[in-house]
Amino acid sequence: MVVITTKKPTEEVIEALENYKIKKLAIVSCGTCAALCQTGGTEGAKEWNDLLIEKGYEITAVIVSEDVCDNRVMKKDLRKIDDEIQESDAILTASCGLGAQSIVKVLENKYPEKPVLVSNNTKFIGMTERIGRFYMRCRACGDCYLNYTGGICPIATCAKGLMNGPCGGMVDGKCEVGNYEKDCGWVLIFNRLKAIDRLDLFSRLRDARDWSESGHQQEVVFR
Amino acid sequence: MTERKVYSKLGEALAKGEFILTGELEPEKTCDLSHTIQEAKDMAPYVIAANVTDSPLGIVTINSMAASHIIQKEANLEVIWQLTVRDVNKLGIAGMIMGGHALGLRNILSLTGDHTALGDMSESKPVFDLDSATLVKLVREMVDTGAINGHEIKHPPTLHVGAAANPNAEPMEAEILKIGRKAEAGCEFIQTQVVYDLDRTIEFLTEIKKYKVPLLLGIFPMKSYGMAKGFDTFVPGVSVPKNILAKWKGIKTDYSTDKKMQKEAYDQANYEFFKPFITELRKKNLLAGIHCMAVHYPRIFPKLMEIIKS
Repeated sequence: MVVITTKKPTEEVIEALENYKIKKLAIVSCGTCAALCQTGGTEGAKEWNDLLIEKGYEITAVIVSEDVCDNRVMKKDLRKIDDEIQESDAILTASCGLGAQSIVKVLENKYPEKPVLVSNNTKFIGMTERIGRFYMRCRACGDCYLNYTGGICPIATCAKGLMNGPCGGMVDGKCEVGNYEKDCGWVLIFNRLKAIDRLDLFSRLRDARDWSESGHQQEVVFR
Repeated sequence: MTERKVYSKLGEALAKGEFILTGELEPEKTCDLSHTIQEAKDMAPYVIAANVTDSPLGIVTINSMAASHIIQKEANLEVIWQLTVRDVNKLGIAGMIMGGHALGLRNILSLTGDHTALGDMSESKPVFDLDSATLVKLVREMVDTGAINGHEIKHPPTLHVGAAANPNAEPMEAEILKIGRKAEAGCEFIQTQVVYDLDRTIEFLTEIKKYKVPLLLGIFPMKSYGMAKGFDTFVPGVSVPKNILAKWKGIKTDYSTDKKMQKEAYDQANYEFFKPFITELRKKNLLAGIHCMAVHYPRIFPKLMEIIKS
């Protein structure tokens, strides 16, 4: 599993830095998911470092952390550059949105005045075909239906997230969204259930999704 | 429809097994419905009811519930209120069903709706909390039990609910099984997508006959060659047969100087194409009626009535 990110346009990041009147900053780059997406890692960190220096910014520190989204790891890694953070106006994060928020959390007591900015857009939880080819196949909706849909998720693969497809927007197995270039999720489900001889599952009328548990600020806490 | 309660003229005709004709009205991006009301008045003598569309192709138009109410009142024509699940969540739709009833609407066509990404407000959030089958189920729950989620509705709505089917869908088996779900959800009538392929239509309708839902066949008589060509080019999944296109093109050329004759020729050509098509399906006992989707072509209705009555 990878949290898939793409780079924000440089101008958008610069605009944010200018908005906060940042002159000196530390760069924290993710060595795991963002590295795979080529939006972080060592290369991503170097790229931002060079670009920002060229634009006249002062870079106080550059670190690549294996788990930016893990508060424990972040606490340890940020401690190593505590002096540099202290003299920075902000931290720029080349990671997913979780990474940035993890840094906000870790620094909230000691440096509540330091803005944490992001250089990436977080797209989705992705399945990797190979580097540079990532596909959204799970929406982390909280109630997995894969046992009844042939291991293909209707929430993620149907453009409308329907529970009872295919809809009238399907033509020759393709979806109306995206000019009929992508497969209809419900036809994929149909083909798969047919292959495993379980069209009885396809025929089943499914209730609308129950969103009552989808709640606010979800958490899994078992200890 | 045996033992089913009847809430509308459409419901009554279906219960009686009368062969019926329904029409289609497409309100536009406007707050003035006078054109649509006039079209409704023009078709009123021929159709038992007319569908009122809900922002087709995701292109925003006047709200279909409001338009349905106004058309029904002003044109004195019963409407089939098209309600998509695209724009409103379950809670909102349940409220709309009660509101629709309070406004005098008695028929709903449950539709998924074309995705917001296709239309002219593609930045809108696509909702799709329900789907076309679960909307049917919700209407039936509210009407039949007088409650939602076990909570009593003081004065419950009384409406009929139908759904759509696409005989052109490929893989056809997936579409057939989907119709089974809609039938299980309690759908009371089906209106199909436009068809031109008789063999395919026979195959599809024969397959879904087992679900025992009265079926209105979607047809699109073509007012002109331009309309036929446009339909063939721009409506995904529907192809107008080549011989039809050639014939319509011939009419355009042959009568280019006499518009009156040209109109008559188009009307006659539609009659000649649809008469054997419909007759064959009726002979096989596959139809409860016809749903004519040709908007802005009310003069075709007398011809369609001729076919129906023959």
